[in-house]
Amino acid sequence: MSLDHPPIVHLPGIPDHVTYTWVVMIVLAGLAFVASRNVALVPRGVQNFLEIVLEQFQQLIDDVIGPEGRRYLPLIATLGLFILVGNLLSLVPGMYGPTTNLNTTAACALIVFFAYHWIGIKKQGPITYLKHFMGPVPLPLKPLMFVIEIISHLARPLSLTLRLFGNMFGGHVLLAIIFFLMGLDGLLGWALSGSLIGALVGGIGGAVMIVFTVGFLYPLKILVSFLQAFIFVMLTMLYISGAIEEAEHHGGEHHPAHH
Amino acid sequence: MRRSLILAGLAVLAVPGLALAAEPPAGGGNLVGPYAVLVAGFAMAFAAGLCALGQGKAVASAVDAMARQPGAAARIQTAMIIGLALIESLAIYVLVVAMILLFVQPIK
Repeated sequence: MSLDHPPIVHLPGIPDHVTYTWVVMIVLAGLAFVASRNVALVPRGVQNFLEIVLEQFQQLIDDVIGPEGRRYLPLIATLGLFILVGNLLSLVPGMYGPTTNLNTTAACALIVFFAYHWIGIKKQGPITYLKHFMGPVPLPLKPLMFVIEIISHLARPLSLTLRLFGNMFGGHVLLAIIFFLMGLDGLLGWALSGSLIGALVGGIGGAVMIVFTVGFLYPLKILVSFLQAFIFVMLTMLYISGAIEEAEHHGGEHHPAHH
Repeated sequence: MRRSLILAGLAVLAVPGLALAAEPPAGGGNLVGPYAVLVAGFAMAFAAGLCALGQGKAVASAVDAMARQPGAAARIQTAMIIGLALIESLAIYVLVVAMILLFVQPIK
């Protein structure tokens, strides 16, 4: 789009979302390295911070999946932290959030899709797992149910992808338009144009816009970043718990209304 | 290019006859761009309005439940946020379609 400024650092021949995915990876790997360089029994500093973060993830997993879900903490926490840092990176002017690109979010959603099916098949065997797609309905309805369930499972990665991408890209476009309106083509240019009216309107308008951006838009975007990362992780956990809990109480049981 | 598209969209909205006269319909495909702009805007407006109705209903009953059962507020809030995300994703689909119409322009 034409309003959009390209990111400052652009490696030739490499798409921007790949470059900034590397930035996210460097940030996370660096944090993990600093935190685990000399692990203390009584954690301090970065180690303490990361332990709190991971404990939050673990508590969430305990709430949603149960204690047997702790094995999937690496998958879930990695996805959550990657998406969160990617979302927050798109708020830094001159940077490009990797989650504002459809390819990144589709990759995350496909990982979730294959992971929860793999977990379910591994937990209860392919036949039992496939059987569960038919649901607790009388026999004549089972083929219909099977098709509907397959479609609903195929819609899951689509909705995960588009939700994250749409939220992030929509916010990106919003910020781009606001910055375009504030910039040298807009209010600031008007304020610097030399005429008295222009300075008055542009100056007051620019001040209002800056207050609006810093005081309202940025907090909102930070909230949305955390919320979307949380929702992605939450839905991942719900899918995994759906895939493994069906082993224990097969059929008949009333599932919590997820999806 | 973009500016001319937006201006053409405005022209269609304001003076349809003028826009028709200004752009000779070569193959009849010339008006797709302006109509795409119009459709994107109206689609987003409808989606946002209906999504707000749905989310308002969800939030209202969640707040009701929280006021009745303050002990269960945390769990209700989690369920509410998930539900809001699922409702909102429908509006987000429309947003993605609008973005595709505006920026990718599969049909010229």
